[in-house]
Amino acid sequence: MTTGDGRLIAIASGKGGVGKTWLAVTLAQVLARHGLRVLLADADFGLANVDVQLGLQPARDLLGVLSGRVPFEAAVLHHEAGGFDVLPGRSGSGALAGLPAEAVEHVAALLRHAAAGRDAVLVDLGAGLDAATRRLSALADTLLVVATDEPTSLTDAYAVLKLHAADRPGGDSRIVVNQARDLASGQRTAAALQHACRSFLRREVALAGVLRRDDRVKDAIRRQAPLLSRHPGCVAAQDVEALARNLRG
Amino acid sequence: MRIRVIRAATMQEAMARLRQELGPDAVLLSSRRAGGGVEVTAGMEPEDEEEPLLIQPLPIVAPPPLARVPPPAESHDAAALAFHNLPELLAQRLGGGVLEARLEATLRFAALPDGVARPLLLAGPPGAGKTLTCAKLAARRLLAGETAPLVVTTDTERAGATEQLASFTRVLGATLAVAATPGAALKALARRAPTQPALIDTAGTDPFDPGSARRLAELVAVTRPAVALVLPAGLDPAEATDLARAFAALGATHVIPTRLDAVRRLGGVIAASHSAGLQLTEAGTGPEAAGGLVALDPAWLAARLRVRRHADMSPPREAPP
Repeated sequence: MTTGDGRLIAIASGKGGVGKTWLAVTLAQVLARHGLRVLLADADFGLANVDVQLGLQPARDLLGVLSGRVPFEAAVLHHEAGGFDVLPGRSGSGALAGLPAEAVEHVAALLRHAAAGRDAVLVDLGAGLDAATRRLSALADTLLVVATDEPTSLTDAYAVLKLHAADRPGGDSRIVVNQARDLASGQRTAAALQHACRSFLRREVALAGVLRRDDRVKDAIRRQAPLLSRHPGCVAAQDVEALARNLRG
Repeated sequence: MRIRVIRAATMQEAMARLRQELGPDAVLLSSRRAGGGVEVTAGMEPEDEEEPLLIQPLPIVAPPPLARVPPPAESHDAAALAFHNLPELLAQRLGGGVLEARLEATLRFAALPDGVARPLLLAGPPGAGKTLTCAKLAARRLLAGETAPLVVTTDTERAGATEQLASFTRVLGATLAVAATPGAALKALARRAPTQPALIDTAGTDPFDPGSARRLAELVAVTRPAVALVLPAGLDPAEATDLARAFAALGATHVIPTRLDAVRRLGGVIAASHSAGLQLTEAGTGPEAAGGLVALDPAWLAARLRVRRHADMSPPREAPP
């Protein structure tokens, strides 16, 4: 990824609670520190919480954009400490949770448009595999699929990769292992998932990075601050930095 | 993918248990030493099941009754045929006598298969009106107090296609089976009652595209239906003829012209059915699901050719008692 290439990076997991939103926030901060113009869009329709992790109280959000009340850029906030822009979603919105196909296409067009004026747009997708999540996964230039070593997470991450292969043949999907005990165990988890993709999908899926378990992540989330603002040199921050370099490489 | 993690004293024991639980197709994904023994993780990918999804109907709400058609109008047959832009030879053949008799001698007319002995499959190019025609046929049976048909759609890719048909079948009291594959369609058909008719709505087919044609051919081969081409009126006669011949090669034996309420010239429909030997059955003459289909016969068609217009008509004929 280079300055000005407007890359759309979606982050999915299938299973909830594996650190998808935290990764989206932290990766946005790392890329911003690389000097890139980054937008983090909360596309977890109905259960958005990027704003919660960042301690934002947005007056405008994606729902306002889709209802036509708010222009897209007017709903975008700049997070000073993080150094990146945020398009908040809205948690608990029935309208967003049941987004019709036409509205999802509208979101897709908005994200594409936003990417054209920036270096990267990170899209935090919802857990599960609903039609909106699949559509936005297929839209992305790169899909990061977050998994942990739990069997349920592996199964769900594999399901995301399988459907992405069907929806976007030849698309760029990569694995991120989160909450790994150490780098070696994370790589083993990734290898298991890669082996499943090779065996059942006849598809090679690259490993984007292994993120080690780090208690300072919980601390940052609890304090509603991006990780690098509180613990810039911690293990998890180093791993996300390595992931960002891998993405840009 | 189904994942199973097993701990055992030895690798052999772990593998034996995995094979026992996941079967011979299980793939070993990872293994490591754990607790004095081994921990293995294996996965197994079940084959995607070819099961149709069934969308059950809502309680029946009867649509309004069919309107009676207006009385006939008169016109000169030769001028009418010229207006409809028929190919020259066909126009000559139809022009040599009483129009009704010439149509009967030149074209083939038949009732639309009822879908009981064999399902009735509606095929055609994209946007021809297959789904609406399917809804009309289902609605007509319901209005006549007959058994609700099983409606099967294989159009699972076009955005909103299933929901469009489901919105009809829910109200009509018909069950909609959504079948992504020919095998799923066959399974759905196998579940209907012995005398229950079946209608199959298909995705738009480009018969000149090998992949698209193959998909329709596979569906026809598996479900063994009577195939009706849903053909929009108003096409250039040469284009319509090419399409009809291509669909006939894929198994179409009947034709349902549509959009007769939206176009004036019928040369394309007549040339296509004549050239491909397709039997003219019914015609779509309106957008409403309740009604908007008329049985085609020489008298109706002659009247429609003579009036030369589409607005405010079905053609002049008394509705059957």
